[in-house]
Amino acid sequence: MLIVPCPNCGPRNAADLRYVGESRPRPDPNSASAKEWRAYLYERANPAGLLRETWYCRSGCRRYFTLERDTVTNEFTNPPTPVAKLGKRP
Amino acid sequence: MTRLPPQPGEVIDRSRPVDFTWNGRAMSGFAGDTIASALTAGGVRVVSRSMKYRRPRGYMSNDYWDPNGLVQVGDDPNVRSAHRLIEPDMAVEAQNVWPSLEHDLRAVTGLASRFLTAGFYYKTFMRPMWLWPTYEKVLSTFSPGGRIDLDTPHRYHDKRYTHPDVVVAGGGPAGMAAALAAAEAGAMVLLVEHGHRLGGHLLWGDDHDRTLAAELAAAVEAAGVEVLVDSTVTGRYEDNWTAIVQRNHPVAVERLIKARAKILVAAPGLIERPYVFDGNDKPGVMLSGAVRRFVNMHAVRPGSNAVVFTANSDGDAAAADLKRAGAKVTVVDARRGEGIVRALGGSKSVRAVELADGRRLDCDLLVTAAGWTAPTSLLNMACDRPVYDEATARFFPSVPIGNVLATGGLAGDGSPDELIDHARATGRLAAARARAVSHRLQAATARARPVDGEAPGWPPDIRPALPRVPHPALFRSTTHGVVDFSEDVSSKDMVGAATEGYDSVELLKRYTTATMGPSQGKLETVNTVAVLAEARGQTIAEVGTTVWRPPYAPVTMGALGGRLFEPQRVSSIHPWHQANGATFMLAGQWIRPDHYGDPAGEVRNTRQNVGIMDVTPLGKLDLRGPDVPKLLSHLYTNKWMKLAVGSVRYGIMCAEDGVILDDGVTGRLGDQHYMMTTTSSGAATVWEWAENWLQTEHPDWRVHVTPVTSGYTSINVAGPESRTLMRRLAGDVDLDPEAFRYMQVRTATVAGIRDCFMWRIGFTGELSFELHVPAGHGLAVWEALLEAGEDLGVRPFGVEAQRIMRLEKGHFIVGQDTDGLTKAPAVGLRHLIKLDKHDFAGKPELAWALEDPSAPVLVAIQPTHHGRVVPDEAAQIVRPGTNEIIGRITSSRMSPSLHRPVCLGQVLPEVSDPGTELTVVMLDGRRITARVMEHHAHFDPDGVRVRG
Amino acid sequence: MKRRPPRYSAARLVSLGARKRAWPRAWREVPLQDSYDVVVIGGGVHGLATAYYLAANHGMTNVAVLEKSYLGSGGSGRNTAILRSNYLTPEGVVFYDRSLELYRTLAVDLNMNVMFSRRGHITLAHSDASLRTMHWRAEVNKLQGVDSSVIGPAEIKKLAPALDTSSHPRYPILGALYHPPGGIIRHDAVVWGYARGADALGVEMHQKTEVLDIMVTGGDGPGGKGPGGRVTGVRTSRGDISAPVVVNCTAGWATLISDMAGVGLPISTRPLQAAVTEPVKVFLPVVVVSGTLHVYVSQTARGELVFGASVDPYNTYDIRGSLDFAEGTAGHLLELMPGISRMRLLRQWAGLCDMTPDYSPVMGFTPVEGFLCDVGWGTYGFKAGPVSGEQMAEAIATQRTPELIAPFSLSRFERDALVGEKGAAAVGH
Repeated sequence: MLIVPCPNCGPRNAADLRYVGESRPRPDPNSASAKEWRAYLYERANPAGLLRETWYCRSGCRRYFTLERDTVTNEFTNPPTPVAKLGKRP
Repeated sequence: MTRLPPQPGEVIDRSRPVDFTWNGRAMSGFAGDTIASALTAGGVRVVSRSMKYRRPRGYMSNDYWDPNGLVQVGDDPNVRSAHRLIEPDMAVEAQNVWPSLEHDLRAVTGLASRFLTAGFYYKTFMRPMWLWPTYEKVLSTFSPGGRIDLDTPHRYHDKRYTHPDVVVAGGGPAGMAAALAAAEAGAMVLLVEHGHRLGGHLLWGDDHDRTLAAELAAAVEAAGVEVLVDSTVTGRYEDNWTAIVQRNHPVAVERLIKARAKILVAAPGLIERPYVFDGNDKPGVMLSGAVRRFVNMHAVRPGSNAVVFTANSDGDAAAADLKRAGAKVTVVDARRGEGIVRALGGSKSVRAVELADGRRLDCDLLVTAAGWTAPTSLLNMACDRPVYDEATARFFPSVPIGNVLATGGLAGDGSPDELIDHARATGRLAAARARAVSHRLQAATARARPVDGEAPGWPPDIRPALPRVPHPALFRSTTHGVVDFSEDVSSKDMVGAATEGYDSVELLKRYTTATMGPSQGKLETVNTVAVLAEARGQTIAEVGTTVWRPPYAPVTMGALGGRLFEPQRVSSIHPWHQANGATFMLAGQWIRPDHYGDPAGEVRNTRQNVGIMDVTPLGKLDLRGPDVPKLLSHLYTNKWMKLAVGSVRYGIMCAEDGVILDDGVTGRLGDQHYMMTTTSSGAATVWEWAENWLQTEHPDWRVHVTPVTSGYTSINVAGPESRTLMRRLAGDVDLDPEAFRYMQVRTATVAGIRDCFMWRIGFTGELSFELHVPAGHGLAVWEALLEAGEDLGVRPFGVEAQRIMRLEKGHFIVGQDTDGLTKAPAVGLRHLIKLDKHDFAGKPELAWALEDPSAPVLVAIQPTHHGRVVPDEAAQIVRPGTNEIIGRITSSRMSPSLHRPVCLGQVLPEVSDPGTELTVVMLDGRRITARVMEHHAHFDPDGVRVRG
Repeated sequence: MKRRPPRYSAARLVSLGARKRAWPRAWREVPLQDSYDVVVIGGGVHGLATAYYLAANHGMTNVAVLEKSYLGSGGSGRNTAILRSNYLTPEGVVFYDRSLELYRTLAVDLNMNVMFSRRGHITLAHSDASLRTMHWRAEVNKLQGVDSSVIGPAEIKKLAPALDTSSHPRYPILGALYHPPGGIIRHDAVVWGYARGADALGVEMHQKTEVLDIMVTGGDGPGGKGPGGRVTGVRTSRGDISAPVVVNCTAGWATLISDMAGVGLPISTRPLQAAVTEPVKVFLPVVVVSGTLHVYVSQTARGELVFGASVDPYNTYDIRGSLDFAEGTAGHLLELMPGISRMRLLRQWAGLCDMTPDYSPVMGFTPVEGFLCDVGWGTYGFKAGPVSGEQMAEAIATQRTPELIAPFSLSRFERDALVGEKGAAAVGH
């Protein structure tokens, strides 16, 4: 099982977290075109390589944070950082 | 084939005879015997039949991987008889024989083998199509496995977790030396041996070998290494998550051990490779290791007149062992250019062997020592790609992996001292790297303290490489023979398949099914590759090899499954429900009363008198802070900035795509204190949804969210007499209709329990009070309600009655009356979507959805002519006279209050106007007519009762 | 050009065997040309079926299928080979039913026994909510002429005696959606059958030929790629090929390929795992699915249990598989069938799935002229292979979107006209 480095709880089994995926900036809800809004809803980067993605430490600190991971080797690269401004997806 | 006099290295206890049965026949052996050694000592030579051609088969490799040695033991199928030890009264049977092992009538297929080449079934049985199911049944009788008993219980199989610094896979000399060195360097080590004792190939070696084995084993124990025998490292997964199956656990049938190994050392040794030649599957054709184990460990001589075809020292040693055991031995030495061409004899035993020089030697045992396969599985699972080495005629690992280290035969050859030095160096490296991994893991945590001082760098691999001893490249003789024994695939089949275009190793494997059997290629893969290379005129390196997949050794489903950890949630009132005749239902993780025997009666009583319902599963979130109104305004589609203290409000939440996520009421208990309720299934989602907005988009909002679903026991008190009942128990609250109005909340002491709160809402459509009681007191309050309301006719009601009442009222349920595409405007609550708010979740989509004329809408529906016929839930609504679906019934019940069916359904907008006639297709195919109603509420549409 | 390879039959098995003659190649190995009318990327069932139907139904034979590994090396050879058409949405039902119809006669049409075992398929319901969904599916199916019905525990026990239909389990079996036409098939044989069939009609298969880039001119994006552009060919590991039509029939790499043309897809790639046990005597005659327990299982004619679960919880291109999958799925299978505790897991593997937001594929034309997609097949691509090939071939040959695949167009995401299959397809095997 993958170990996810939570910035607060340290290394945790991936099963302790929920994968949120790539988060995109949320367009202005009052001016976004349908095309922009639906790109925000549905389009996601899907590289074979580095991906910035959000995790939620469901069984630990209950914080959302972003990490950078290589989707081919599953290695996390940068030290984890708590999120800045991100979009949402339930 | 006799039991030899005591041998110096024998592992059997002659003082403890063990009786068992073989195909119903009484047999006997000694404690320490495997089924194979006991059968062989007892003169049994044929132990199975091959899968396709039903050819008699005897032991070949005499180890766990022996493809011919699978037997049925009681209700345990596919038991490895050359590994499993005999036990008193064990019932051992041959598998998949019909009618008996000696006379398998399906052996006629052997006569047709020329036509039944690999993949023949793809080329026939196409026509006539109607006959195929019959062919299919016939083919399935060739299924090679044993049988399971469907009544076998799933027994005790608890799992173990461990976090060793170093796991060593393989308890031979290399594994023991590595484990010892790692332990001496301070590491916590787990050493896992596949066989029944430590020692590996030393166990069937000479006196010197056995002394070395004993010394190493003693040192390992003294160094505090944890040793598991009869256990196998079956898989290496992400981040060295290591699976170990322990077969000798005293209680569990098998135990799965999950080890988060900081470093994994792979030292499985080498697996002896069969040689491909005509007749190589006749009983009596064996590998050198098989013979050495029989003779030296179990004191069994598997033949009296042996020909030993050898290319290496193990073959030489087998010849010496046989001689010492009194057999006549002729050596055919591959290193001198000698070779064997075919084995001759009847189907039940080898009788002679034809040599390359034309000689023919009589024998009852033909031993081959043709070389080795490196079981690199654990390394492959860590992304290694093995590379073929021509000189040694075997594959070697090629990719350095930081946390998986190979030693022993996987890494090279050499003298025993060289191998042990390499293994010790590997152990030391493993210990040093384990320490570095500890530091790395700690460093991942911003707040962590470093462990034991300075973080070390990553220890480099400075182990001297082991020498590689050249070995003749022996795969196939000049004749064709069996390559995959368990799948009955010959080298001729493979050449044919390659000619047909299945000429890459993966295609060949899939077409012929070679390497797909119980040993998963441990005996067959290299020969498969070699035969393909020969057929294609390529080198083995060019052809490459297949990917080894987990598990390394098979694991029972019981060990993998273990105990089912699926939490069940019940409320504090659950014991009362159990004692009072409740019928339960599953609702996600919750077990809750569906009814108490008479749901319709429960409805009537609640409508006429008063009913109480356990609604604990209702999701509850405690919200505190000055910015709660902002959060609520953002999550719900309606307005929340001016909710007064003591008031509650209903709202719906949508995801960013406008689809309804959840609904519920939220009340303001204090200035900065709110309580939100969610649907039972939505509690976790809504909590994470709220946290997401708070942590990412609006970290400046000051709100604390605490889930308190299980912290309160929730009871709905509903019905015309509910106020009277509550007055008796909640005397500290003014329950006067003017003082405590509909959609208000009060904190209260109920039945003497402080810190309860209650609100006046009405999912059932009745005057009702929803109590939320600190969970520990839930049962007490429930019983107090029943006692205090006895004269009022108080009775409990369950989910079914609640559903009927809400349906009479036209209240929808998220997930039942809505689906994954239902947006908020479709459920008839357009007035709750406040586009004049600056922002809220899903706002743009809802703005567009309000203008969308095409989305289905939720309407109340009532059958017209068939007043007593209740439309089925899930019944489809079609365009009259066609099968074109234009809607569906989402909820439907007979109303005990109205004595007619009440329904909700989704329909296309064009047929959603009140009064529109609909055609509903019942589950039995009947079509009935129904009408769209004006209001969602069938019962009390003006809501007089609930506001009472 | 058409060839006349020998037909497969029992008679010819005997005659070739008697004369000790070898069978000829199932498909040829020919040199790669520098131009084709149509280049199909991906040598799995979708790509091969597309090529086959282009030749068989539309006479287009100057077609090359490019496969970076060996034929059927991706999802086609890694799925659990379950076929069914009991979907939830009308558009899903009609589409998969056509696929099942093509599968039904495939052995005869392709002259290769693909061993379609129409043994019946049951989807278990463990709660009243899932029972309601089963009824919904059954009703939608029936109205479209698809054989589905909801059955109770007693009938379930008759169909699959190994199932524990008592009230003891944590998730008791309350009922099931029974779909008699569903079953299992030999997935590799389907791949080989299409390859052989396409080859006989003149289509070329090129294995170990990896597409490195797609040439597009006139588009809005960098390098003239992207919307508004027109495809001119592909760059491969074995040289450049010019072609006016390029079809993306890949799974697992769909976004990487379409990115080469400048076409963005709403796809996330996740592994789907499966496993097989050692064989035992046949005891499970139907396909069993439980959405609640995230598991589907069938027993092959050889006696192995083949089973799978839902996709892995995070995006990755790593297909080594996990222990959690093996443990979780085994636990859930034991919940359904306690009697299999002594069976042994023999092998586990994984394949890559391209997941779309609405669990439905992306098919047809894209904003780049000449570049078509047949992707986003999530966990249900194999069962759609024949119909996808047939419809994609029609789209290519007629330059129009066939009605059957119109609901699955790429533009539906921008229009927010999603397909409502998610609930039924999440673990819908």
